[in-house]
Amino acid sequence: MKISENWLREWTNPNWDTNTLSEELSLAGLEVDGIEPVAGTFTNVVVGHVLSVEKHPDADKLNITQVDVGDASPVQIVCGAKNVVVGMKACCAKVGAKLPGDFKIKKAKLRGVPSHGMLCGVTEIGLPDDDVDGLFVLPSDAPIGMDVREYLDLDDCIIEVDLTPNRADCFSVIGLARDIHAVSGVALTQPFEDKDMAGTLKCSQPVIVKEAQACPKYLGCVVTDFDPKATTPAWMVQKLQRSGLRSLGLVVDITNYVLLELGQPMHAFDLDSLKGAVQVRKAYLGEKLVTLDEKEVVLSEDTLVIADDSGVIALAGIMGGLSTSVTSETTQIFFECAHFSRLAITGKARKYGLHTDSSMRFERGVDPMLPERALNRALSLFSEIAGGTISQIQATVSEEHLPKPITIELRSETITKRLGVEVSKAQVEQIFERLGFDIKETESGWALTAPSYRFDMSIEMDLIEEVGRIFGYNNLPETPVHAPMTLNALPEAEQSLFTLKMALVQRGYNEVITYSFVEESKQKLLEPKQPYVLLKNPISDDMKAMRTNLFSGLLQSVAYNQNRQQPRVRLFESGLVFYKNDSDPTGATQIPMLGGVITGNKSASGWDGVERVVDFFDLKGDVETLIRMSHQVENIRFEACKHPALHPGQSASIMKNGEEVGIMGQLHPSLVKPIGVSGKVYLFQIHQDALMTMQVPAAKVISKFPEVQRDLAFLVDKDLAVQALIDSIVAVESDILKSVELFDIYRGDGVDASQKSIALTLKIQHQDRTLQDDEVDALISDVLASAKQAVNAELR
Amino acid sequence: MQEQLQTIISQAKMAVKSVTDLAKLDEIRVQYLGKKGELTSMMKMLGKLSHEERPKAGQIINEAKQMVQGILNAKKRELDDAKLAKQLAEESIDITLPGRDVDLGGLHPVTRTLQRIETLFSKAGFDVETGPEIEDDWHNFEALNIPETHPARAMHDTFYINEHTVLRTHTSGVQIRTMENKKPPLRIIAPGRVYRCDSDQTHTPMFHQVEGLIIEKDASFAQLRALLIEFLRQFFEDDNLKTRFRPSYFPFTEPSAEVDIATDLFGDGRWIEVLGCGMVHPKVLTNVGIDPDEYTGLAFGLGVERLAMLRYNVNDLRQFFENDLRFLQQFK
Repeated sequence: MKISENWLREWTNPNWDTNTLSEELSLAGLEVDGIEPVAGTFTNVVVGHVLSVEKHPDADKLNITQVDVGDASPVQIVCGAKNVVVGMKACCAKVGAKLPGDFKIKKAKLRGVPSHGMLCGVTEIGLPDDDVDGLFVLPSDAPIGMDVREYLDLDDCIIEVDLTPNRADCFSVIGLARDIHAVSGVALTQPFEDKDMAGTLKCSQPVIVKEAQACPKYLGCVVTDFDPKATTPAWMVQKLQRSGLRSLGLVVDITNYVLLELGQPMHAFDLDSLKGAVQVRKAYLGEKLVTLDEKEVVLSEDTLVIADDSGVIALAGIMGGLSTSVTSETTQIFFECAHFSRLAITGKARKYGLHTDSSMRFERGVDPMLPERALNRALSLFSEIAGGTISQIQATVSEEHLPKPITIELRSETITKRLGVEVSKAQVEQIFERLGFDIKETESGWALTAPSYRFDMSIEMDLIEEVGRIFGYNNLPETPVHAPMTLNALPEAEQSLFTLKMALVQRGYNEVITYSFVEESKQKLLEPKQPYVLLKNPISDDMKAMRTNLFSGLLQSVAYNQNRQQPRVRLFESGLVFYKNDSDPTGATQIPMLGGVITGNKSASGWDGVERVVDFFDLKGDVETLIRMSHQVENIRFEACKHPALHPGQSASIMKNGEEVGIMGQLHPSLVKPIGVSGKVYLFQIHQDALMTMQVPAAKVISKFPEVQRDLAFLVDKDLAVQALIDSIVAVESDILKSVELFDIYRGDGVDASQKSIALTLKIQHQDRTLQDDEVDALISDVLASAKQAVNAELR
Repeated sequence: MQEQLQTIISQAKMAVKSVTDLAKLDEIRVQYLGKKGELTSMMKMLGKLSHEERPKAGQIINEAKQMVQGILNAKKRELDDAKLAKQLAEESIDITLPGRDVDLGGLHPVTRTLQRIETLFSKAGFDVETGPEIEDDWHNFEALNIPETHPARAMHDTFYINEHTVLRTHTSGVQIRTMENKKPPLRIIAPGRVYRCDSDQTHTPMFHQVEGLIIEKDASFAQLRALLIEFLRQFFEDDNLKTRFRPSYFPFTEPSAEVDIATDLFGDGRWIEVLGCGMVHPKVLTNVGIDPDEYTGLAFGLGVERLAMLRYNVNDLRQFFENDLRFLQQFK
């Protein structure tokens, strides 16, 4: 909400400069978003009266004017504005004036003619552009020679306050003033007198309230015989403008003025256009209304409306209709000033796309006791300006549905406990007195009744917040939290994600964070069969599907960097993936994953020797490193697999205890182009849980006896997985076979084309004694037999 | 004989002088000192001398041998030194060439910031809790005192999956889950991704939050203040950091405040909002089965990107999610 500082100061005027006032508002919880002077900094600009205008002899576009600036004699000013005419009042910068931008007005000669000042347009004195080409024309009654700052009340700032939803009571000048009063203690002075404006004639417009709960109070009043030519006074236009509202005719201006001043939205109807009784009811399904801003809305049954016999004439608390609006032809007015309940209005403005000053206030709540006062204020303003005959005020009130004032108990002990400071009895009472509460002392503290505009008060903590807020949060002490010293658990069998991330970092990976929602079509390319969750209201179409893998984000980041001359990319990401799952209460299984991608050269720098691009086994080395960090190499196996995103001959399932916990492989060549990357790209993703549960190491005694090493070369089918051969050897039950390691794979001369040679090193050792040759031979013979039987391997 | 030895010595000297390699030097050694060497031969001739002459002659020959040996040794040292010098010269490298396998990636600045925050709080005994990102109504809104009609629901521009499930708009749901499952006293922080339906220069539809929660008997707002001031000073490593607590509104805390900081490190000493906090609303405690008369909750929430931007001088929020390596690699 924007409000003029000077207007605010009419209500309460603490001895604070603008910045202090703004700071104090913020510290009271009414956050000031901006302060803007209404005009630029300038001096010595006065109201000038143009006495004569003559053409400049040597310049077509210039005029020579004589201007009365209130001094003994007029001054001669050469002026280039098109709209300069004899008799006009205009802003005149005298010699010695300083205009915004440190522009000094001096005596000058323009094309040989002396000029003693300058006639100004709006932007030249730092006012908002009014789209007038030329001088700023002042009203004809502007007093000649008067300082323009004073005449136009330009020593003012527009304060923009960003209100939190609970402080609906501050959506007005009086509301802000009340809080300033509470903080400063400076008196609150209402600049007008509350009057009872009701006349003696009966209100001729009947009103039927069918929805008493939604509209517990409806005041109506008819005004006739007023001056239809009366216009809005300049002071009111100016205040409205400084709150960002345009002048729209006297009646609307007055309702807007009261809305800003007191916070009560109102509406005025053209009485002659109303047909039959005004009704407050719910809309019928499909009913239509053309609103004041000439939009047609189609209504649903949950919408509270004002209607007459012809149909809907206003959206209650939001906006009036065009057909019954007050125009320059209007001669009789029906003023509506009602209290609509918050629940009846909430969400409707959004639904119809009609956010108005009125809806904003009713959605957050308006003081239920305000309508009488606000209507009288509006009538009083109207009658002062336009005269007229005012009818009785017709009130339709449902007491049972009106919010009741509640009394809340505040214990002095609770203040001390919760705020952590002792606030004296006198201080507490002063705070609530200034806030307008009704105070009764009790045994343990006070019974406090909030004023009707503080309907945000409902529990003791609300009162404590008020004490804290006015006492000043920044005046509270800084008290360290006291809690017993305990040591947190440190489960060693839990690997930290951070450690895993650091391992990848040390292997050249950069961490990325990508959006959890991805492009649906790309997700379908990568995992066509995996059901996914869709957002109902995505920010854009390419951020619609919740990711079912980390690949899409990683690949997008690869593409982004490849397009920026970064051919070598190594990235990882951790985060949830989401599998649609209707049996889960959230509709999705949400799994923490760790994934990575590599592409480009193996080495970061390649000045010595042959550079090569990465391959499957480079990635596998990284993945195996992660697995080794969890001390669970034995539990994890890689099995060839098929995955739609991956190259069918270069992809693996990562299995833990027989369950798939991850996948890795080369991006399927047919996806390289559609995904938008280039070159060979290798990806992995693993369930974080699989990596984060580990074993606490348990050391074994190191054998003191010599280790025997035997190298064996096997001939096997060329397509046999090495793992299968190793498995067949490890399957031999033996206490002395310590390890089996691959050291060579060979195909070519000397090996049949249908076969390959696999060379393994077996390490053999006894824990308690030196091995005999025959024991080793027996083991080798078992190994050969097992390998032969399992995978048809022959010793080469 | 004396003369003969002198001649041999000078010959040996001459021969050694022009030698340039060890093999040749060895040949010379053999020539003079080998089994059939000239000096060795002379030694053998001693037997032909008289008893009286023998010791004297022996002594002279030995001296000559030692002399020749000395000449040879000196030359050998000279040649060894030259050889080593040559080897060293040959083996000299350009030590300014880059080392091999230097390949250091980096953590994302958001992770780096999260880690910093987590470390500060962990050391003070806070546990780190996480939770789902697709949340139900209850955990994201209702348990937090944000009923469907509450204006705060309009404040959050929420991504909906369906009527009752959303992408969490804050990590407060984790607090609810923790309070539902663990007994107070509690001290936790809940870091993670959160989502709001908003995207422009200063908003991304996804960002990170850390929320903190303390449930204790008789916790006070003054304590919350002390904790957060301490945190901010430690996080920014600025003992002179100024803070300002402004009353604010969150449905789940009462009283509520926003915290602004001002420092000479950035922002020209202007107030910059960095976090929201408050005392857990009694309704929220009741919702999770904690008696608000027995326990008090202190809660706070901060935007990780915001802190990262201030800490690391990042001027565009959107950079965090572009994942440009040239940006990321600045955070090694």
